Order: sequence, then structure tokens, then C-alpha cells
Amino acid sequence: MPTPPPNSPRLHEAPANVYKVVYSALLWGMVGSTVLFALGVLRALSQHLSISLGPAPQWGWAQTWTGLAHLDPTALMIAATVLLILTPVARVAVAFAAFAVDRDAKFTLVTGIVLAVIVLTVILGRLGLH
Amino acid sequence: MPYTPHFVAVLFAAAVLAGFFGALLGVGGGIFIVPALVLMFQLPVKIAVAASLVSVIATSNAGGSSYVEQHITNLRLGMFLEVFTTIGALSGSVLALYLREWVMLLLFAALLLYMSWTAYVTRHRDDQRIASGGYGSAAPDAWSRRLELSGRYHDQALDRPVEYVVNGSGIGASVSYLAGVASGLLGVGGGVLKVSAMNRYMNVPMKAAVGTSKMMIGVTAAVGSILFYLAGLIHFYIVAPVALGTTAGATVGTLVMNRLRSVVLKRIFAVLMLYLAYGMLVKALALRFHILLPSLGS
Repeated sequence: MPTPPPNSPRLHEAPANVYKVVYSALLWGMVGSTVLFALGVLRALSQHLSISLGPAPQWGWAQTWTGLAHLDPTALMIAATVLLILTPVARVAVAFAAFAVDRDAKFTLVTGIVLAVIVLTVILGRLGLH
Repeated sequence: MPYTPHFVAVLFAAAVLAGFFGALLGVGGGIFIVPALVLMFQLPVKIAVAASLVSVIATSNAGGSSYVEQHITNLRLGMFLEVFTTIGALSGSVLALYLREWVMLLLFAALLLYMSWTAYVTRHRDDQRIASGGYGSAAPDAWSRRLELSGRYHDQALDRPVEYVVNGSGIGASVSYLAGVASGLLGVGGGVLKVSAMNRYMNVPMKAAVGTSKMMIGVTAAVGSILFYLAGLIHFYIVAPVALGTTAGATVGTLVMNRLRSVVLKRIFAVLMLYLAYGMLVKALALRFHILLPSLGS
């Protein structure tokens, strides 16, 4: 292994706890959404539904929770989609928290900017950019 | 349209193939899912792009977690570049909401042509560079030094740790922004752009670049998905079999890919992508100019 030049940075790995939490978040998000999607498809097939390609239904939290309790296929698939979308977002959020706990100001800022872009996306979407 | 077992099975099978081929090529399945949904199932391109983006998150979670577990992923570098990919994804998905169907089809055809060319010319000379210590002896740039982006991982095939010094942060950030735009606009992961930027311009070994890109793809696609979700473009009954199929296909494809490194395979895919590009072009011309070219079965 050649010696790194004097101006080489310290090879700084992200803290081990960040890797562990990120790995768990990705794994559980994947498992949860897969189960919900599979259950949703099976329930939809058992009900002989028809689907339309018009604007997709916009369900509120209360309607989704009630639907989930009744194993409604749309509610199951909405929950799976939301869980899937939230998995990488949660991954950024836990990394933000872990960097903050480790007092790594630079990377708390970097992950904070990514979270801010995500929040901006939600705001723009809510404002009805379509 | 009736939601029958036959419809779901064909959608699932197409997604399995898309995920499998995508993984063999070392990319997500998006590059194959969107043409499959548009050309085989005649879905509007925006619905196809939205469904593809959600399935891209699924493959990123599945593939990305194993790279994170093995510490191949460079979390610091990934999060630095995510700033630019997420801003790009937001720009791309906003653009997608306003662009006409035929323009998106043309852009997708152009992306397929680029991917076809990339698959044809890609050569990996990673092992020689690792052996010569080239990755560890480069000089870092100012961003890399300040944010300590350089990293190391244990290469199982070579059975040794590989250290690398990251540089070229400016060009990496710019290409990451473009990859984000491609992701939000066309429903792909943009991994090809990110991996080649990290490997060619940022002095990151191929495996670390692939692992880091896999992790970044998820959050990039999440940004586009959020906007499409709130715009009512995510059709859950389409997304469900597509996401399940892509995840299954990508998981098997990744396992096979590690044993299979064939130039011939890449050339076959280069031709397949040319064929899909032609299909998308035919559809775009028919939609906008009513020009009817032979569809060649696509």
C-alpha cells in the first residue's frame, strides 16, 4: 500500500452507528412495503375490481387507517407506497440525527439540506403543482 | 380496465424481467420498466414514470442495504452528492408534470440511446488501478478535504482493504444534479451517471461507487415520487405488482451478476435498448406528428 501524500485527508468513515441504523431502516422499510403490497394485490384480486387510469385516489390518514383495519386493497397499497417512499427519507433523517449526536456539524448541515429539499418537495406538491 | 390475475401476472412478469435485466447491467430496472409499461401496456408515460420511480426506491432499498451492511457504501460521499441529486430530482419531476407526453417519450428515447452506447463501450480497469494503489495516492480537492469524503472498504474478491482519496467534487456534484433531473423526469435511478461520475472523475473504485449510488438512488427517487404522489400520478394497483416484480428480479439479477461478467451480455442489452429507443420514438412521432413508422413489434 503506497503512503498517502501529505495533503491526503484523514480517512474518516461515517460512524458505525450510522451504518447500523441506515441498514436497519432500509431493511425494515423493504420488508414492510413488500408484505403490504403483496397483501394488497391478493385482496384486490379476491374482490374482482376494475381500475381506472384517471387521477389516483387521494386518501387522508383517517380513511387509510380505517381501510387498513378492514384490509382494504387500496389502503394496503397506499400504506406500502408511503412506507416505501418514507424509507429513504427516514434513512436521511436518522443519519441527520446520528451526525448531530456525534457533533459532526458539517454533515449535520449536509443531511439537513437534503431533508430541507424533501420538505420543499412536499410543500410544492401540497400547493398543487399540477 | 379489469384487475384480473392475468393482468397482474403479466405486469409482475414484465417487472421481474425489467429488474433482472437492470441488475445484470448494473442499473436499476427503470430503464426497462418505463418502456415496458408504455409499449406493452399502453400506459400514459407519466403514469409509467411514476410507477417506475416507486419501484426504483424498492430496488435501491433491496440492493443498497447489503452494500451498507458491508461498509462498501461511502455514506459521507453519498450524502454530500445527495444534496445535488435531490435538487435535480425536484427540478426534473416539476418539469415532468408540465411536459407533454411526446416530449417525454423523445427524451426517454434519447436516454435509451445514451445507455445503449454506454453499455457498449464500458470497460472496467478497476483491478489494475487498485493493485497499483492509484486510488489511494491521488490528491484530494478542497471539498473532499473539508468534508472528509475519502473512504475505504474491504474488497472480498481481492481480499484486501482498498483506500481511495476522493477528488473532482465539482464535476461529481454537477453530474449528480443531472442524474437527479433524469430520475425525476424519466423515472429512472440515474445510477449510470452517478457511478460513472464517481469512478471516472472522483477517483472512487467501482464497487464503492456502485454501493454509494445504490443508496443515493432511493432518496433521489423518493423526491420525485413524493411530487408524483401528491399530483395523483401514482396508480397503486399498477405500482404494487411492478414494485414487487422489480424487487424480485433485481434481487435475483444481482446474485447472477456477481458470477457473470460478460461483454457479450452488455452488447445484447445495447441492442435491446436501441430497439426500445426506436419504440419510444415511434410512439412520440405518432402522438405529435401523426407519423406512423413500423412498430417492429414493440
